[in-house]
Amino acid sequence: MKFSIFIFITIMLATVSVQAQKGTLKLNLNYSYSLPLESFKNDIVSNGSPRGVSGELMYFVNNKWSLGLAGGFQDYYQKYPRALYQTGDHETTSAVLSNSVQVTPILFKAMLMPCDKPAMVHPYISAGAGLGIVDFTQYLGEFGGTANNGSFMAQAGAGVQIPFSKTSASGFQIGANYNYISYKQYGFSNLNNLSFEAGLHFPIK
Amino acid sequence: MKTMNTVLSCFLGICVIVTGCTKEPLKNLSIEESRIYITDYDSAADFTSYKTYNVSDSATVIDNGVATKELTATDQAYIDAVNKYMQQRGYVQVTNLQNPDIGININRIYSTATGFIDNGYWNDYGGYYDPYYWGYSGYDYYVPYSYSVYQITEGAMSIDLLDLKNAAVKGTIDLLWTGLIRGEAIFAPENADAQVKTLFDQSPYLETTN
Repeated sequence: MKFSIFIFITIMLATVSVQAQKGTLKLNLNYSYSLPLESFKNDIVSNGSPRGVSGELMYFVNNKWSLGLAGGFQDYYQKYPRALYQTGDHETTSAVLSNSVQVTPILFKAMLMPCDKPAMVHPYISAGAGLGIVDFTQYLGEFGGTANNGSFMAQAGAGVQIPFSKTSASGFQIGANYNYISYKQYGFSNLNNLSFEAGLHFPIK
Repeated sequence: MKTMNTVLSCFLGICVIVTGCTKEPLKNLSIEESRIYITDYDSAADFTSYKTYNVSDSATVIDNGVATKELTATDQAYIDAVNKYMQQRGYVQVTNLQNPDIGININRIYSTATGFIDNGYWNDYGGYYDPYYWGYSGYDYYVPYSYSVYQITEGAMSIDLLDLKNAAVKGTIDLLWTGLIRGEAIFAPENADAQVKTLFDQSPYLETTN
């Protein structure tokens, strides 16, 4: 009898979970820490950025797959010690160089949660593509200028969602994303970075 | 639900704080870091062939294209510093009547830009009082004069080395070397020596042998 009740409750919880996922519209909000990589790290900003947020609005088309829009904001900044720069054929400039980069991604995103059973931890993988709006300001001393442009951006990520309870549609999540941002200004090639996220998710419909 | 709202509010608050903490580059510069030092030179010039120099006895003040001569404490500090570093590079100071090989001009440059806030600025702000408030519904605002005038003055200090040695032959006084300083507090006399030193330090080719 007890075993039957256990099976019944398990099936009920699974059903609740499944019903909560399919057709659900979820909002994910994250704090984001980002580490520049490759050309971005070597040529523009090598410091990690603790100033970022991200969010996703995801619709569960079935129990495992969700599709939606992702956005966010990340601020990168680095000041380099005074150095000499060759600014002309025979022109030399001594200056403190400051680079300031703000990236605002707007992505179409897909997320796969392989485990659709009630559990305390739900792993996920995700992929996205879209536009990264880049504000890049470079100063020599106090003199500089800003260039704004939109660049192709792609993202691949993985992480886990931890519901407040096994059957809750809300909870915490942590994860990491590899972000590819094509950036062909001023001789640079990309603004690739690795971002670590932690935040909350909850259904809004 | 109340707990959820509280958690969500806290999280959104953190997001606002994080994004509000965007690093503003200009606010993270010290006065010294704000300055840039630019040097350029005639690559055809053989600086070792020049032996003597003279610095003009006052600075040329170029204020929006109008040039005058002045000798303030700042100008004197720059003249002293240029003398010091020219002599360290082996050049001999002579008077301007002794046919110096190099003539040196020190210039204070000011460029003032004047502007005013667009008189139609209220169109950009929905909160600006509608003429209806004053009892004149349907009227437009109009400003018959310019106001909110602002001025921005940018300053620079430049040092020019002139080729007097070959002037008679060439028929022109060629520029041999230019040092330009821009940024905060460049006109403070106490900063003159360090700033001129920086220009000379980044110009190792500027030296002669006696």
